[in-house]
Amino acid sequence: MTGLVKVIGSGAMTNTINGILDGDVMLVIGSNTTETHPIIALRMLAAAKNGSKLIVADPRKIGLCDHAAEWMQQRPGTDGALINALCHVIIRDGLEDKKYIEEHAENFEAFKSSIAGCSPEWAEKITTVPANVIEKVAHTFAKGKASGIYYTLGITQHTSGTDNVLTLANLAIITGNLGKDGGGLNPLRGQNNVQGASDMGCLPQFFPGYQSVSDEKAKAKFAKIWNAPMTDKPGLMATEMNDAMSDGRVAGLWIMGENPVLSDPNAAHAIKALKKLDCLVVQDIFLNETAEIADVVLPAASFAEKDGTFTNTERTVRRVRKAVPPPGEARDDLSIINMVSDRILGKQHNGYHGAIDSVFHTVPPFASEVFDELSTCWGALAGMNYERFENEVLAWPCPDKDHPGTPILHKDGVPRGKAWLSEITWSGSEETPCADYPFILTTGRVLYQYHTGTMTRRSEVLEGAAPSAYVEMNQADADALDVKDKEIIVASSRRGKIEIAVHVTDRVKKGLVFIPFHYKEASVNLLTNDALDPHCKIPEAKVCAIKIEKLKHV
Amino acid sequence: MSTVTLNINGNEIVAEEGLTILEVAQRSEITIPTLCFLKGKTSTKPCGICMVEVEGHKGFLRSCITPATNGMSIQTDSAAVVEHRQKRLAVLSETHFGDCKAPCNLTCPGQINVQGYIAHVARGEFEEALRVVMDRNPLPFSVGRVCPRFCESRCRRILIDESVSINHLKRFVADWCMSNNIDLKIPKEKPTGKRIAVIGGGPAGLTAAWFLTRKGHDVTIFEAAPKLGGALRYGFPNFKIPNDIVDYEVDTILRMGINIRLSQQWGKDFTLQDLRDMGFDATFIGIGATIDIPFEIPCTDKENVYSATKYLRIVNEGGKLDLGRKAAVVGGNNIAIEVARSLLREGVDQVTIVYPRSRLEMPANQRNVREAEKEGVQFLLMASPSGLCAIPAESNRLKLDLIRMKLSESDERGKRQILPIPGSSNSLGVDTVISSLGQMAVDGNIAGGELEEKLKMKAGGFFFASPRSSETSVEGVFAGGDAATGSKSVIQAVVSARRAANNINAYVMGCEKDPADNRFNFSRGKTFDDVSLKNFDGIGINLREKMPERPLEIATKDYDEVQLGLTEESARKEAERCLKCGCTAFDRCDLKRLDIDLKVNINKTGMGKEPIYPIDSSHRAMVVDPNKCVYCGRCEQSCEYDALSVSAESFDDEGRPLGLVIEFKENCVSCGKCVDNCSTGALNKKNRIVPIQAEEVREIPTTCPYCGTGCQMLLKVKGHTLMEISANPEIAPNYGDLCVKGRFGHNFIQHPERLKTPMIRRQKEMPLEPVSWSEALNFMAQSFSSILGEKGPDALAGLSSARCTTEENYAFQKFFRAGIGTNNVDHCARY
Repeated sequence: MTGLVKVIGSGAMTNTINGILDGDVMLVIGSNTTETHPIIALRMLAAAKNGSKLIVADPRKIGLCDHAAEWMQQRPGTDGALINALCHVIIRDGLEDKKYIEEHAENFEAFKSSIAGCSPEWAEKITTVPANVIEKVAHTFAKGKASGIYYTLGITQHTSGTDNVLTLANLAIITGNLGKDGGGLNPLRGQNNVQGASDMGCLPQFFPGYQSVSDEKAKAKFAKIWNAPMTDKPGLMATEMNDAMSDGRVAGLWIMGENPVLSDPNAAHAIKALKKLDCLVVQDIFLNETAEIADVVLPAASFAEKDGTFTNTERTVRRVRKAVPPPGEARDDLSIINMVSDRILGKQHNGYHGAIDSVFHTVPPFASEVFDELSTCWGALAGMNYERFENEVLAWPCPDKDHPGTPILHKDGVPRGKAWLSEITWSGSEETPCADYPFILTTGRVLYQYHTGTMTRRSEVLEGAAPSAYVEMNQADADALDVKDKEIIVASSRRGKIEIAVHVTDRVKKGLVFIPFHYKEASVNLLTNDALDPHCKIPEAKVCAIKIEKLKHV
Repeated sequence: MSTVTLNINGNEIVAEEGLTILEVAQRSEITIPTLCFLKGKTSTKPCGICMVEVEGHKGFLRSCITPATNGMSIQTDSAAVVEHRQKRLAVLSETHFGDCKAPCNLTCPGQINVQGYIAHVARGEFEEALRVVMDRNPLPFSVGRVCPRFCESRCRRILIDESVSINHLKRFVADWCMSNNIDLKIPKEKPTGKRIAVIGGGPAGLTAAWFLTRKGHDVTIFEAAPKLGGALRYGFPNFKIPNDIVDYEVDTILRMGINIRLSQQWGKDFTLQDLRDMGFDATFIGIGATIDIPFEIPCTDKENVYSATKYLRIVNEGGKLDLGRKAAVVGGNNIAIEVARSLLREGVDQVTIVYPRSRLEMPANQRNVREAEKEGVQFLLMASPSGLCAIPAESNRLKLDLIRMKLSESDERGKRQILPIPGSSNSLGVDTVISSLGQMAVDGNIAGGELEEKLKMKAGGFFFASPRSSETSVEGVFAGGDAATGSKSVIQAVVSARRAANNINAYVMGCEKDPADNRFNFSRGKTFDDVSLKNFDGIGINLREKMPERPLEIATKDYDEVQLGLTEESARKEAERCLKCGCTAFDRCDLKRLDIDLKVNINKTGMGKEPIYPIDSSHRAMVVDPNKCVYCGRCEQSCEYDALSVSAESFDDEGRPLGLVIEFKENCVSCGKCVDNCSTGALNKKNRIVPIQAEEVREIPTTCPYCGTGCQMLLKVKGHTLMEISANPEIAPNYGDLCVKGRFGHNFIQHPERLKTPMIRRQKEMPLEPVSWSEALNFMAQSFSSILGEKGPDALAGLSSARCTTEENYAFQKFFRAGIGTNNVDHCARY
């Protein structure tokens, strides 16, 4: 997201899910779509059936490969080199959309010279994707009437995550695929409301609506709306909080609906940091691993027990409706936030905006009223309200009550005026295989589980379908290690080790192994690297070096 | 867009070109029934139902594939078309094998969804189980203790071992909710402004009041006694229904918001006219049958002779009587049995029930008879009292003269009369005699006024009430329960009063009655003899869970309950014994719906008689019962992955499949869309074991909480329980598609491990302990405030969640920015 804001001026999926059917080329990179976004994958498969060309770039032989016109099996961590090479071929062969670049892009010459060395042959050495395949894909992509790019965390969870996204933006820009039905640059959001949480400024550097906290005008605006002074000091990113907790700069943490003990790369470090807090408050629907070490646990409501909205990956704001009451004393999160506000701030903030009688509230009690308030904070939502949601599907930006929403972004150019073509030098992963840790480990999801499994592992059908962790390994590696399918092995990195069953498969190449991250009994995040992308502080969960040993029986 | 103009059933319709007749009809809201049609697909296994007549064409045309063209004249429901559809449906129904409703459900006078609440118990959803019961029976505590259990007599499990202990399960869920202090929060419709008087606060009156209150009426109960409960309190001894249970049950009902007037005797304290004058729009008479039929016998000495209800009332109110050592109870009804068992508890050594017929002919429930016998009650059968006199000089106070009886030859109706055997008389020396010869509602005339005089009575002292409308001979006055039907079981009083409440609602609102359950039912066999034992292949013997009881030598010494109730563990085990006869597709079956709509009488045209295919549970998420398949092919067509095949080895003369194979392929992703599209119960979701029948179900549209696609789902909710999840095929972005997580990944909502109370850790290294909200919030506030005071706002931080709503995320960051004064707020989306 950080990347896209910089070059385009907005960081979200530019096109729509069902618009996939309107394109004629799909480049799916770093997204195991059939397992992580099954319904989006259905649209891709339907499009492929209708003659649209599906190009997959993934180190693993994922489900989509069976339906792909081309599959580029790049080495993990080499996406940037691959994309640069695609751009190189397109410009070398004069296939770029000159008119679009002329009208809508800047920095083309510098960009062009930055990829002059990124020949397909150069990329083949780095990525192992044959040069002729790169050339073919580049041609297919550039010649498509509408070529869409679809990616997820496979692109971003790297130390070079931001750069990877920028290379994809370059590709979309030089082929004129922004603002085009069936084209676009489309990050597929992994969680239901990542979009909404980001939109609402649950980000240390942004107020709601990506308005920078260091921007004086924005500060003044929010100081006025919220009737409170706004601080200058930039906040800490989630990934920076661990260090701040470890050295005592942060002493109190309130976690609403997350489980970092299991989801944080380098989990051992995270646990240590959390334990140093004076007060850890966890608000969740289950006593998850993080709640187990908390000082205060607040029981919250599930999505079926409250009203609100989720903003999906294509920026449409969709209603969540209360269907059943929460169990026992559990409360919806809005009420909890208000109750906490009252206790902590009630006495100090007399007359503060939102105060009802003598009780202090951060926000009004009903979700629809909260939405009315938040829609005044950001023009992109200004035209939306709960009444409209009853009959309309609205994608932001939707600036006024008569506006139909904007399913496809950038039809009339990009928000920052001209799209910036970035000069990206491919830098590789922070950690690469060596003699001690010879395997590349990559991580991901499986269809039947979700995230840390809090929800899915309590569902008999899902848990029955995928009950335990495994490490995908090529037959050649299994033979070399003398391990068999289902055998329990020890996988270790510089940070930790786990015991896990082997699944021998041709989905991974020799030297590469894959472990899904849902399982706490074999938590892969004990192995992964928490080295951060310098721009957006995303950790490098997708690539690290590990070694694998037979389990020694004592 | 070019259009075509055509005529359907005499209406001119202009439609878009290129649509089929079926699509044009659907868009014009003309229903053409079909089993196999799926939007956007062409059926490969045509059901032959959607046929229509088109002028100029011989025979019928498939409306689902025939393009609508200009000038067409179409008949969608001519007599010939309807007859064709009926025949076709009859053909399909003839091989459809299954039960719509389970036999327990059909046998229950209350028509309670028995299988439904058992399934809830099996899943540990006790609260929802009780809601299912109380949907139709507001007296689960009492009925769970004294029901004659018609349902259990028809339980198919009897063909394997023993019936499921249905009634014990009902009692268990009621008692569980009582001991866990559960408020069921049963909804009430908005106030109607109508006022209804209920005379009598027993089972019938309470039931009528409950259902009428739920309909939004303002109800007042007038009760002659100082406490509510009627027969539950005064008719059953405490060891059957303890008083505190009656209190709780009555309170549960009153919590709906019902007015009560106690110690108000009809005819003495008020009349029907008074009620009218007070502004009541209708009156329900539910006074029960509390007047004993007199014990008319020569030489009757009234000393030490009681009638049953009088005796029970005295004892239940805690009165003490001098009963002596030996007692005789005359009569064989349930009350006689209760009286006999009560006498043992009053310290009478020898209690004898005198009855003129054989034991099996006793009107009392045989289970009650057995229980009494176990406790030591003696039976003097085929004997009738002929005289009674006091004999103060001897060791017993009374001499009951008896004559032996015999049965006559059968009369023309097949009934055998009892005849005295001449010269067979003997006598029984006792200290007390209690007669239980049956009860009536009214002895002679009802005191009161003109309206009371107009009340028509039935033979035996009961109120006449129209079987159709429950209305008595006086307008606006209704009657139900024992007062109208004669002495029956509690559940039968509940049913009678529930029906009356429905009629009263229709009367005061001037609306139609809520329709009765449709009696249409596929059955795997109406009697045990009809049921093929092949149904139970592979089901092993698994005997009932034992009901814990107090030892008799102690139990018969006091009035505490004999049966202690199942434990949670044994209740769930018992519920697992249920064979789940009824169809879990009851609420969505298109075959049943079309059979009913088109009035196909499957009892005449036939239905499947025995299972041909085994039920296949090998799929992780779905259960396949090919015996219910009508070969419509919708499952196969709806599958986006081509992961399901339906095939047949051959076909019979009617085109029905033989050697049917429904197979999930390797590439199945368990999304469950095929089940949502199955036209019968051939495909079912494994975790959807509760059939939904008449219970109110709400469909709440919402957004899936898993990945970022934002699929739109429909949550099907019954009571407070999420039953299943489906999707609307018309709504973006998913248009009816969901993945396996979307359809099956929501058990977590009702998971027992859900956090239900706040917790705090008072000191590091101490365990978390549950506390009130107030305490948890104070604890958190104290800690956060002192951090804020000592280290400033940037020492606090918040991590919000991509799982929470946009509104919650907004509020969370606002709290940190505007309230605390820090930008330390982030979410974990990078992971």
